[in-house]
Amino acid sequence: MAKRVAPHVRTFDVAIIGAGVVGAAIARELAHFELSILLIDAKSDVGAGTSKANTAILHTGFDMVPGSLESRLVSRGYALLRDYAREVGISFESCGALLVAWNDEELANLSKIQEKAIANGYHETYLVGVDALYAKEPHLGSGALGALAVPGEWIIDPWSTTLAYATQAKSAGAILQLNTRVERISQSAHLHTLHTNQGEFEARYLVNAAGLYSDVIDAEFGFEDFVVTPRRGELMVFDKLARSLVSHILLPVPSSMGKGVLVSPTVFGNVMLGPTAENLSDKRATESSIAGLAFLQEKGRKIMPALLDEEITAIYAGLRAATEHPDFQISLHAPQRYVTVGGIRSTGLTASMAIAEHVRDLLTTSGLDLGQQGDLPAIHIPALGESGVRPYLNDELIAATPSYGEIVCHCERVTRGEIDAAMISPIPPRDQAALGRRTRATLGRCQGFYCHAEVRALLENAGGAL
Amino acid sequence: MKVSGVDLLIVGAGPAGLAAAIAAKQSGLSRVRVIEREREAGGVPRHSFHTGYGMRDLHRVMNGPRYAARYISHTLDSGAEISTSTTAIDWVGERTIALTSPRGLEEVTADRIILATGARERGRNARVVAGTRPAGIYTTGSLQQSVYLRHQEIGSRAVIIGAEHVSFSAVMTLAHANVETVAMLTSEAHHQSYFPLHWGTALRYRYSLRTKTELLEILGRDRVSGVRVLTPRGEEVIECDTVVFSADWIPDHELARRGGLQMSDVTKSPIVNHLHETSRAGVYAIGNLLLPIKSADQCALEGSSLLSKNW
Repeated sequence: MAKRVAPHVRTFDVAIIGAGVVGAAIARELAHFELSILLIDAKSDVGAGTSKANTAILHTGFDMVPGSLESRLVSRGYALLRDYAREVGISFESCGALLVAWNDEELANLSKIQEKAIANGYHETYLVGVDALYAKEPHLGSGALGALAVPGEWIIDPWSTTLAYATQAKSAGAILQLNTRVERISQSAHLHTLHTNQGEFEARYLVNAAGLYSDVIDAEFGFEDFVVTPRRGELMVFDKLARSLVSHILLPVPSSMGKGVLVSPTVFGNVMLGPTAENLSDKRATESSIAGLAFLQEKGRKIMPALLDEEITAIYAGLRAATEHPDFQISLHAPQRYVTVGGIRSTGLTASMAIAEHVRDLLTTSGLDLGQQGDLPAIHIPALGESGVRPYLNDELIAATPSYGEIVCHCERVTRGEIDAAMISPIPPRDQAALGRRTRATLGRCQGFYCHAEVRALLENAGGAL
Repeated sequence: MKVSGVDLLIVGAGPAGLAAAIAAKQSGLSRVRVIEREREAGGVPRHSFHTGYGMRDLHRVMNGPRYAARYISHTLDSGAEISTSTTAIDWVGERTIALTSPRGLEEVTADRIILATGARERGRNARVVAGTRPAGIYTTGSLQQSVYLRHQEIGSRAVIIGAEHVSFSAVMTLAHANVETVAMLTSEAHHQSYFPLHWGTALRYRYSLRTKTELLEILGRDRVSGVRVLTPRGEEVIECDTVVFSADWIPDHELARRGGLQMSDVTKSPIVNHLHETSRAGVYAIGNLLLPIKSADQCALEGSSLLSKNW
């Protein structure tokens, strides 16, 4: 268990900048040990930057660069996160993926991808002929020539993953400091001083998990190992009534035509289409674009025409923290007692727990004494996936607490009981988007036509914002 | 889990559903039950405070909440049962529906079922509008609930997307919340409402109706700062802090579709015959579940006339 610190203490053994999926996983990992831990983020919620707009796939790592750090950490992270999801109740579905070939070049590439998977230590892929493909996915658009099946590619709830890590770290004694922007970092012989909009914090060791801003934090130390170029990915989410159209994650086959887009079910019972890939310079450019949305609709119509007849319930744009390097950029700067965790792409969700172990080991080699390892307090995250029994269907739960039978968000069937529970959880939501990530409220097809006002009132009563 | 049976189950306690319940009781059916997923019955008129309700069906004019209250009390007087905070989850038989509510799970079997689940306006995402995702974006429905039921702060300058009847209702709701409507946009050449309604509101509230104007993009980080539009003269930014997406209706057809009822590709409503019966015997659809959109009194008349035609 982490060392408990008194509220006024501002000096920590380890400070982690960035409470995304990676920073939260590192905080949780370190919380096993006798350390005082600070997890700091500029936003008002955990996982509110790049982590929130993930494609939500638990990757086997079959298509990584063999021998890369990413390949190793994704493989290891896959097993760790799968077990962790079972332990704490994060929703996932073992749907498997199909890489669908639409032309001869792509078809020829399938066997190369199969070889690459083997080089990455993944042996379960198999080729699927065109008839078998349409039998598996009858709503697939016409013109597909075959596919490579990757049964180990699963879908997972990405928001609950970050929330679970942060919740468990906090329960073990780590301090979560939100709404806190690091403006400058200064050094003394044994301490880093973080100058923030909420005053100063000190730490013996520092971990940079600042995502899009990891190069900016690195620059505080004079390091120029990489430059983060925000790569925008726009995503469309279709209504639950579309879910029956698709059974697998439908992945594009990389070819000279460039990388295509995927169609994937989500654990929440929706269907996702995307992402686009566009390099930008503005790290805040999370707006969707006219061209991007038109591109997705055009691609989607080819992959699965019936999907485009369904209602679109959400449009997101996320920024990947891409660098000029193909691999994760994780490095120890031992003299500075500083670890940079940069260049983490969409595979970071899958790799998160393995990245955390790796960072723990790097800190140890630079002299951090972890002390005794202990067990973390057990936690349970409310399951939001459709594969389990949602509260509105749980007669016993409703009998004990009738508010679990009172649906507030009708489209997503979110009950007042779930919203009430989120409001008093260890990391309560402060705005509507954060509540949505915890409960699904307002994220459905009506987009708040029915429940916006009520949800807003519940948040305002709890002291949150709109 | 509770199991029950009724002669007639009506899903949705808006004007159509309640009028149908009253008529069913008057025609002699003994067990008539209306289920409503909201905490209060009444449907959309509950949060539509302007006048104009009741003209065709009650032969007098009143505001939405009064109109809703009148239908609720008539329904209760007739002896029909209304179950609020009760959601129809799915079909578990030809005419058996699973319900959930704070009282727990229930399966109710009915001789006949009427679907009166209404319609909603498409929001920003369903209309595939590009741009940022700031606060300050509404549909007329969510705006009315915020203003009339919750008395929430809205903003100061609004742009309304759409120029149908309901769009003018949005103008009045905004005015009630002290929000100035700066423009109403439609990609069509004309508004699609009654001319007197447009002239009256335009004169009184002084917004400009912008025809042949398309919304391109929403601007602003935390809060809406404007909209970028394409007009016949080119692109333009209209500054505002509130955007209301009005009209562009889609039926609330989830239950109909989950039941495998035949649906229209055009309206996305269940297909019904001249007796309002769907593709499943004994299952009917009325009101705004059947597009095109109708006023509350037209829905109520459809509900009350269903029984005289059929049973």
